[in-house]
Amino acid sequence: MPAKPVSKQVPSRGGIFSKFKGNIEAIAIGVKFFFNPQRFTLIYPKEYIKLKEGYRGFIVLRKDKCINCGSCARICPAAAMRLIRLPFTDPKTGKTRMKLWPIINYNRCIFCGYCVDVCPTEALYHVPYHDVVYETMDVMDLDLEEFQKEPEWDTEKQGLPVKYVVDEKMGLVKVRIKEEGEKQ
Amino acid sequence: MSGILDIIIKIITWPPLWQLIVLGLIVPLGVVIFILWFERKTAARVQRRIGPYHVSPKIAGGLQLVADLMRYMFQEVIIPKTVDKFPFIVAPLAALILSIVPVVAIPFTSIEAYFPIDMSYSLIISLALLTLSPLFIILSGWASNNKFSVIGGMREAYLITAYELVAVLAFLSAGAITGSFNLVDIVEAQSGVKWFIILNPLAFAAAFIGVLLSTSGFPFEIAESEHEVVAGAFTEYSGLVYGMNMGAAYLKRMIFSIMIAVVFLGGWKPYTPGEGFIAGYLVPSIVILVKATILMMIFSFFRAVYGRYRLDQALDIAWKILFPLAVLGFGLGLLEAYLGII
Repeated sequence: MPAKPVSKQVPSRGGIFSKFKGNIEAIAIGVKFFFNPQRFTLIYPKEYIKLKEGYRGFIVLRKDKCINCGSCARICPAAAMRLIRLPFTDPKTGKTRMKLWPIINYNRCIFCGYCVDVCPTEALYHVPYHDVVYETMDVMDLDLEEFQKEPEWDTEKQGLPVKYVVDEKMGLVKVRIKEEGEKQ
Repeated sequence: MSGILDIIIKIITWPPLWQLIVLGLIVPLGVVIFILWFERKTAARVQRRIGPYHVSPKIAGGLQLVADLMRYMFQEVIIPKTVDKFPFIVAPLAALILSIVPVVAIPFTSIEAYFPIDMSYSLIISLALLTLSPLFIILSGWASNNKFSVIGGMREAYLITAYELVAVLAFLSAGAITGSFNLVDIVEAQSGVKWFIILNPLAFAAAFIGVLLSTSGFPFEIAESEHEVVAGAFTEYSGLVYGMNMGAAYLKRMIFSIMIAVVFLGGWKPYTPGEGFIAGYLVPSIVILVKATILMMIFSFFRAVYGRYRLDQALDIAWKILFPLAVLGFGLGLLEAYLGII
């Protein structure tokens, strides 16, 4: 059965003068912001949001704590973590055996943090930044050596820290965080 | 040698050529590039963003528009197999040319030697030429042979019927006050503070919103609204031809702004054209162009404040509010002529 077209009339609110008033108010707000812009765009490489400890950023491996269980690779929902087989010499006994080590591919990582949560020996941990900005895709696929180093925090070197606070009148407002040693 | 130079200068400054090429094409194109940048920056300021920035941070992203223009120039022009080729190519060209041509019927000075054509009926001629170009937008939509294009063309057709009467009536109210269709007489009548924006604000408001409607300015950007009908009549266009289509609307708005500056904002007043090319032609045209540019900036400011109206809402505004407003403005003009205010 075909649908019947129903013409709906939206009841108009207010008379012509209240509509006129609304238009004038809208233009007045526009003019106010035109002369006094309160921007909150993050100019990325020049500014960065300072995040707190516990933020799920880049993942780093502590190789001495890793027991090669492979739980991280198994739980990874994006298959970013995978295991590679590398020889490992035990410092106590001096024997060399092949062992499975996790490496990460930031092409696939969704920064969910399951691997960090599931790790039984806390061999993986987060750093509170993730500037996933690389020149080529190959660089994003880390090897075991790179996975043990904390990635460089480039924006901290060249940018200013900012944070977003909720203002009663303006909503979200971007505020610059004063660095240590700077006068308040 | 100096003889050849004189001839070249004479050819360049021959009023019809000068007015069509320099005042109609080159200066408005520069203004349009500035206005596109200004529009994006204004919208960004009002909406608490930054706008174009990374191309040239020192001059607030001013080169972004040049970069965009270069991209349009070097983009491939794709002509789909299903389109009707001749009107597909000709329609945007005709729309562009017809947006520029009305400038020959607008006087930029009061000295008769610098008129490109006879100015006795210039108001009628320029209005008639200005209202021709939307027909070619409909044609380009039709020739594209695409659902979105046809819908966009139909929307344009609806809007033509709505705004044309409003804009023409609003501009003709100036003729009602002065009793003349000669734009020079209309400008000369606006002596002192007796600009027609003050004498007849109703007609000015109707003309202002009518121009926004006619050039698909932002609150009335209905014919090519991206969210509903991809790009309206211009869906199948690409590269320079698409840029031409988009530029035609802005050029038309610039010419309309010049018309408003002449009819309502006192033309070259408070300057009085003197003797010679510079004092008699160049300076008054600069005065008019500055007024028109300020108008264009106000037009583009509306983009930041308003959201897009629906087609039925725009037609409501046109027929229920603007048309009575334009008629009232015309009546006010007649009343002022009867009372002898001019």
